[in-house]
Amino acid sequence: MKKNIVLFTLQCLLLVTLASCEKVSPIGVLVSGTGVEDRVKMSNEYFFHHKLEAKLHMAYDQDEYTFLVGADSHVTHDVGRMREMLENSLNYGDLLMAHLGDIADTKAEYYINLEDAILDYKRQYAEKHYKKEYIGPDSLEDVATDDYFVYRDTVSGMVLTFDNVDYPFYPVVGNHDITHNGWALWSNIFHSSFYDVFVVVNIDPFELDHFIFLDTANGTLGQEQVKLINEGVLDGKQYEELGYRFRNTFVFSHTNIFRPSSLQFASTFPREETFFLLNQFKKWNANIVFMGHVHKWDEQTVGGVHYLTLDSMCEANNPEPGDYLVRVHVKKDGTITWERVHMDYCQP
Amino acid sequence: MKVWILAFVFCLSGNASLLAQVYSGQHKYDGEHKNEVSGYIMAGHNIVSGAFGGVELSYTRHLTDRWHIGADVQAQLGKQLYSNDIQGGYRLPWGWSNFYLDAKVMFNRYNRWNTNETIGNLSLTWEMPYFFLRVGESYIHFKTISFGYTEPPTFTFGFGVNIRPRTDPWNIGLFFRNYDDFYYENWNINWGLNFYAPLIKDCKLFGEFNIRPAGSMSQLASKYETSGKIGIKYVW
Repeated sequence: MKKNIVLFTLQCLLLVTLASCEKVSPIGVLVSGTGVEDRVKMSNEYFFHHKLEAKLHMAYDQDEYTFLVGADSHVTHDVGRMREMLENSLNYGDLLMAHLGDIADTKAEYYINLEDAILDYKRQYAEKHYKKEYIGPDSLEDVATDDYFVYRDTVSGMVLTFDNVDYPFYPVVGNHDITHNGWALWSNIFHSSFYDVFVVVNIDPFELDHFIFLDTANGTLGQEQVKLINEGVLDGKQYEELGYRFRNTFVFSHTNIFRPSSLQFASTFPREETFFLLNQFKKWNANIVFMGHVHKWDEQTVGGVHYLTLDSMCEANNPEPGDYLVRVHVKKDGTITWERVHMDYCQP
Repeated sequence: MKVWILAFVFCLSGNASLLAQVYSGQHKYDGEHKNEVSGYIMAGHNIVSGAFGGVELSYTRHLTDRWHIGADVQAQLGKQLYSNDIQGGYRLPWGWSNFYLDAKVMFNRYNRWNTNETIGNLSLTWEMPYFFLRVGESYIHFKTISFGYTEPPTFTFGFGVNIRPRTDPWNIGLFFRNYDDFYYENWNINWGLNFYAPLIKDCKLFGEFNIRPAGSMSQLASKYETSGKIGIKYVW
């Protein structure tokens, strides 16, 4: 009897301790990493106070614009598939890219490899879209680093440093990005996991396409993100108040809503959150919701919203070449079409 | 091999004589009473809906030693979740254990999100004095706003273990499962502590403390819902 009471007390203490912690695993083991509440607070603060100027892309003078989406690249030593996505987008001339999370497995060297690739293609992007000008002393021109170059926009005349060039690569955070304090590595490169981006598609009347990026790496939006969504921080009210009109809306999430088959046991959102999100997508008038996480292609149209779950572009998961990316074409009149894009890279 | 299995089963079941045909423990069927009625109140906190509370009522009728039917209703304020179900099952005794094949049809109204959910579940439970194991499949269809969706068949898993044989008058247990009384979902494994204790003759107090994480299989389970239930069960 005494032994049972002691055991009972210990179980109660264990449960109370774990219940008060935000990050618990089903077996009661504490999990390291930054929680969704902290990430969203940091992201919201960062994006709305430091990067507001980078939110607009211009497509009003084009017959169509395109964007490329990839998922679950799980970069390790070999960055081949990631480079292939960046190369494909650069060559095709996409307006922007989106990545659906699990961009790298959580190790510092993997993130260094990833950042090297992104900086490499950011440089190529800057040289393609801006006029590169040397501003250092003549004697150093041959060995000059990025600090001695500026990039001039030939239309507006605006001059940017390399750091200020807005490379249009927009990721969401995935569960593999945040294990073992991976958020520190991820946020060092990408800064925000909860933000939105706009594309100006018409100037008379002023119309925008809206790109919404959600932090769903933990399988839940968390209380702060739900609160911010309910407050309308992603509704783009600040633009509507200025008389701008929203045309198309695209949403990006790591965690998937719809399972491709009954054998997909990866966590999806809990019931209440699923219904909350489906209602929210409808409220946002979302055209396409992009998701990853399960490493399996799936396509659904539910309630007028198109849901695309992308297969993993990672070579470890899919060693054979295949159609792992999606390119979306948005015409001047707002018509949306999409195609799957083939990846060829295989490790030598 | 057979001897080892029997020895294992014996170790798990404790003293076979504890399987008395009186209402003392919390077997799904106690072998004596034909009717069971229970009710509980609950309170908790959910990430999306915030604080919630509710009540639940259940009735089970054991038609024979083997067959039973029942019905449950609940209302959760805060979530604005209203549920009811009917269920039935067959009991197959095997040694110190029982196998239950249960079928359940459930309807949920998530009023807050204007969603109706219909669920059919078929499960097999192996109930031993010290633990139970449940596996099954669920059919889940929901209709929200103006559209409906049927999920691929959803696997049901449940496991529980007690510190005393289930036939003892009071007990404490731990459980892990991807369902609760009124929902079934893919692979968010909720877990917690439950107990029962005698109140008066034919009446028991029972309760449960439940942690329902999100993303259980995503390496980073995050707290999603915490809740507690406390109730009374009466048999006759």
